[in-house]
Amino acid sequence: MSFPKKPGGKGLDVLQNLPRITLANLRPEPGARKNEKRRGRGQHGGNRSGRGHKGERQRGTRPRLGFEGGQTPFYLRIPKYGFNEGHSRRPQYQPLTLKRLQYLIDLGRIDPSQPIDLTQLVNARGVTIQPLKRDYGVQLVDEGSDIFVAKINIEVQRATEGAIAAIERNGGIITNSFYDPISLGILIKPVPFFMRGQPIPKRMLPGEDMVPYYMSAENRGYLADPEEIQQARRALAQKYGYVLPDISKDELCHMLAMRKDVRQIFFGLSPGWVVNMPEKKILKPTDEKLLQYYSS
Amino acid sequence: MYKMAAGLLTLRVLRASSGFCRRTPAAAGGLRAASSDAPQDKRAVITESTEEYKFVERLIPPTRIPDPPKHVGAAPSGWIPPAESPPPLPYMIRRSRMHNIPVYSDLTHGNRRMTLVRKVEGDIWALEKDVRQYLRQVTGKELPTQVNEVTMTLKVKGHFEQELKDWLASRGF
Repeated sequence: MSFPKKPGGKGLDVLQNLPRITLANLRPEPGARKNEKRRGRGQHGGNRSGRGHKGERQRGTRPRLGFEGGQTPFYLRIPKYGFNEGHSRRPQYQPLTLKRLQYLIDLGRIDPSQPIDLTQLVNARGVTIQPLKRDYGVQLVDEGSDIFVAKINIEVQRATEGAIAAIERNGGIITNSFYDPISLGILIKPVPFFMRGQPIPKRMLPGEDMVPYYMSAENRGYLADPEEIQQARRALAQKYGYVLPDISKDELCHMLAMRKDVRQIFFGLSPGWVVNMPEKKILKPTDEKLLQYYSS
Repeated sequence: MYKMAAGLLTLRVLRASSGFCRRTPAAAGGLRAASSDAPQDKRAVITESTEEYKFVERLIPPTRIPDPPKHVGAAPSGWIPPAESPPPLPYMIRRSRMHNIPVYSDLTHGNRRMTLVRKVEGDIWALEKDVRQYLRQVTGKELPTQVNEVTMTLKVKGHFEQELKDWLASRGF
């Protein structure tokens, strides 16, 4: 039903029938404006003007906030502890709930028939990553795991056990892979990177502390052994009490099994290639030393 | 699934077939035929290809918001699509850009709770009457409401975002 827009409606009708509005005709709603309390005037505002009787209160010479009359104040009694020490060097992961992921798939913003990457999530405006604020990617959180019903091949940077279970229960695949900050910046905004005309760099391997996380099969790390991952899938299915669906018999098996190489940032594009967007071409190096470097 | 191996293979194939010779094909062909040790000097620094460009097209962000696919009833995430035809009421509430119901909760001054219904078209006073009646049923209280005929919005005191969203979705908006 299309409604022709009548600006103002009843208000406009009333306005047109009343006499002209001037400052003389306007008045605020009674009780809307309250007069301020003016100190030093009259019986109630004057005399001591709300300052009390003598002492530091009336004379305005009270000590600083936290002073306890000479006793060691609370904020000095408590010893220091490094709760926030190195907070600016800690990696942060933007959380992504399974509920939001399901919502994005339902609204057609994410295509479940293609592997889901951080680029796809950012293009769908599902998450916002700020690599300059020590964000190292996205983490999958298991809020909404009971309503999650989608078979996807997803790659995130961290995932909780419940989230892994929910995805594998529906026949999907989840991988945890590491992106160093430069690669992450390129992954999030590929088009500005391609416009720079630089060759695609190779993805760096994780640092010492993160290697155990990405090599363990329980976390479905990208550096882990595939057989161990299969065992871990079966173990998780037993733990959470669902039947592990067989993926090799699936029609989308090829898409689900797609995984990026350890040094690759984008699907289908190797490091060392330069993308020419205006002419829709890809330039590849032929020098042996370069090829050796980029394939190492 | 090592795409690197596949990439290198295609590289070798392409290097053999194409080179910098696109500019002067006849002359380069002639030069190659003439000198036998030419391959070392004439080898191209880069090779071009257009086959893998489809992977780049996958990475370009879309400029328009995609239409949601057809769902029968509610989607698994709880999203309810609008009815096929608008309901036969004197007012209409459009969906937002992201295909959601435009009801929002607001909190100002730390304790002032309001619910805002935007994108109303038609007779907004009828909507206000229906909303007041529905909330009276739900809460048992008479809630103050404010109608803005210029912006065609409705404000209700209190947080009733979820209740109003469910009610409007059930009505087919």
